[in-house]
Amino acid sequence: MFVSNNAAPGVRVVNVATDKFKTDIIEISVAVPLDENAAANALLTALLTRTCKAYPDFTALNAKLDELYGASVDSYVSKTGDAQVLSFYARCLDDRFALDGERVREECVKLLLGMLFEPNVKNSSFGKEALATEKRLLINNIKAELDDKQTYALKKCTELMCSGEPYGRPACGTIEEVESVRMSDVYAAWKNILKTGLFHIVAVGNFDAGELSGIFAKKFEKIDREPCEINTVFLKKGLHFKRGVEQFPMKQGKLVFGFRTGMEAPGDNISAVRVAVDILGGGTYSKLFANVREKMSLAYYCSARLIESKGIMFVQSGIDTEKEKQVSTAIINQLDDLRNGKFDDETIAASKLALRERFTLSTPGMICNWYKSFILNDEIKTPEEVADGIDKVTKEDICEAAKKLSIDKIYMLEAVESEAETVED
Amino acid sequence: MKIKEYKDEKTGESIFCAKHSSGLEIRVAPKQDYDSSYALFAVKYGSIDTYLGKEDGSYEKIPEGTAHFLEHKLFESEELDAFELFAKTGAQANAYTSFDLTAYLFKGSDKIETSLGYLLDFVQSPYFTAETVRKEQGIIGQEIRMYQDLPEWAVHLNLLKCLYRENPVRIDIAGTQDSIAQIDDKLLYSIYDTYYNPSNMILSFAGNVDPQAIFDQVSKAIKRKKKPVPARVFKPEPKGVLSDYIEQKLPVGQKTFLLGFKEELKKPEITIQEEMASSVMLEALFGKSTPFFKKLIDEGLAEMDFGGFMFNGFGYSVACIGGTADDPKKVAALVKEEIKKAKKNGLDKAAVDRAIKKMYGMSIGVYDSVASAANQQLYLYFNGYKPFAELETIRKLTYKQVNDRLSALIEKSSALSVIVPESQE
Repeated sequence: MFVSNNAAPGVRVVNVATDKFKTDIIEISVAVPLDENAAANALLTALLTRTCKAYPDFTALNAKLDELYGASVDSYVSKTGDAQVLSFYARCLDDRFALDGERVREECVKLLLGMLFEPNVKNSSFGKEALATEKRLLINNIKAELDDKQTYALKKCTELMCSGEPYGRPACGTIEEVESVRMSDVYAAWKNILKTGLFHIVAVGNFDAGELSGIFAKKFEKIDREPCEINTVFLKKGLHFKRGVEQFPMKQGKLVFGFRTGMEAPGDNISAVRVAVDILGGGTYSKLFANVREKMSLAYYCSARLIESKGIMFVQSGIDTEKEKQVSTAIINQLDDLRNGKFDDETIAASKLALRERFTLSTPGMICNWYKSFILNDEIKTPEEVADGIDKVTKEDICEAAKKLSIDKIYMLEAVESEAETVED
Repeated sequence: MKIKEYKDEKTGESIFCAKHSSGLEIRVAPKQDYDSSYALFAVKYGSIDTYLGKEDGSYEKIPEGTAHFLEHKLFESEELDAFELFAKTGAQANAYTSFDLTAYLFKGSDKIETSLGYLLDFVQSPYFTAETVRKEQGIIGQEIRMYQDLPEWAVHLNLLKCLYRENPVRIDIAGTQDSIAQIDDKLLYSIYDTYYNPSNMILSFAGNVDPQAIFDQVSKAIKRKKKPVPARVFKPEPKGVLSDYIEQKLPVGQKTFLLGFKEELKKPEITIQEEMASSVMLEALFGKSTPFFKKLIDEGLAEMDFGGFMFNGFGYSVACIGGTADDPKKVAALVKEEIKKAKKNGLDKAAVDRAIKKMYGMSIGVYDSVASAANQQLYLYFNGYKPFAELETIRKLTYKQVNDRLSALIEKSSALSVIVPESQE
């Protein structure tokens, strides 16, 4: 892994050189504060990858990608801490496997850079119809968040828990925000990300680090960079407990517990927190799996997940609605046992081994995601470094970390009887 | 045991194959420089196997969801459960049941020999009691409900219910609350003894290992002797469909649809060449680089998730086209019209060439990951193919072969499945 910060201020290139894979991947992630511009940024992200100056026609662009052995050059929006992250990536077959000696990688990188730096813009406009289409697609995507109730419940718990913090905002804005975006907002968003966005580029495959750095230096040459600062809010404790509830005509209820982990900054006590969360609800050796699922048969899944960049943790489970109290009690009891050290050394060993295994990255995509997650961190760590840190954690550390886990919010989707029937004709 | 190496020159990949005296197929894909290994121990027995073959040649009907139930229960043993064993090596163990097969697996990077020993051992050591079966009914009951709430699963299953009268592909892999209540330990033992015979199984391994060591370890660990396994029964489907439209209300944000064309099968399975030709055909007709796709987006008729795919196995073959749409009936009509046009004029030659290139790139990408490389061997072996059959097929695929597959799209044998939003209570 090679890191270069030389291209321009706030532009970092992370290159993982390897030729063991069949495909190469490069992802350009841009972090900006998660605020009222989220919808404009999200629309911009979609517009930039739909067409570009070199390929102003969507159909021709996709034909080109098919010709490049089905390369994907696309984008998506996510959150890391209190930042909105716009990611643009190219994933393609490595040149060694091209049938006619095509330079697939080079062409994909060119396309990707063209999208970001030479978009299909005329007179400060991405096109009225193009924007209207993207608004429709984005609004429909936001509506579709309701389709997967597990994800939806998690999102609602996050919004309730972090309502006063940037992280409580949806990654792509709300439907109302999307509707009110004007063309000038999108154009301004483009100028803004080039000037202030934190650029974090990860390349995995047969890329040359120096060459990549040089390419980005040239692209930013004429841009007066003023990289933004992103300071994520870390709340040490959940103070105002609240339970949110919604009802849906469905078969299974969804329960989400939102916790503050006690972390006060990125990376704070992270190794102990990771192990504590994992023993509570990580693998099959975890307390929630072993008890709520296996012993009590209350759920198919009951697990804990850590959002490291924000210092929060969620426990999620799919349950019978009328058993919410029973499941909640079981979750709290398991947490109490964790705090009181009621777990054996074998479980600690199992957790450390399993975490190390989870950090063993076996595809270009996994490697890329690992290094992308450091977008807001000054220091970039390899999976081995993180695993070594975890190995040093003691039972006392785990209990201490568990004691700092405090419940902030609960969100429950209650399943109610549906009156609807299936219609055939 | 004779070991044969298959080599694909262009990708540089090798797969070593051998047939154990018990009838077990062993396939090993050495992946140099990879940190992770992945092993699958799989049986050709899935949810479509709803009958238990008896020694006298007769068949007895069994409850829906039995194969999946057995998958869950095999993890338990008289002493340490499989999950507890894998906790000692850190390997991630799991299993899945599909329509056609059941697979047990682990991914690991350390102590591979030990983990492989655990896998071989637990799959060969059934232990079912009335009590452990009862306990699992609660867990699987929750799993069934979780799937029933997922629109993408419901839209698919509803389509199959319209298309198939005889084939058990029309039932849920996990069964129903009522059907799994009829499963007992005796039935599980009968199924296990009948179908979990090495001659009906494959051990597929991918990782940074010496293939010989894997062959040696596996062949020593196989306990059971070769015994004939009752053949799957192929009942040809009557022509036409049970219903050409089905609609279900769910609390979702968007309408989603799946249009399926059932192929009239003369023998139980289509060939790999027919399958890949069909996938290419669907891409050439409805992929992102077609004017048809662009028209749907521009006119607000569909979303970026619009597309086609093949769904086929023993006794069933469906060309599916689906996505999110406000007016699924209108999109379905346009799709049918587009197929008629192609049948009259032939597919666009350039579109077919592009789709072949795209599929070639994707087929090679499979060998990027130990998981997909190992899984690919299950599919190939259970369908009677040697390693790399898919790469050879795609390299030789012709326009004519692709165009000929249009004949499998029969309008009278098609049905439209739609999920519509049910308003919140």
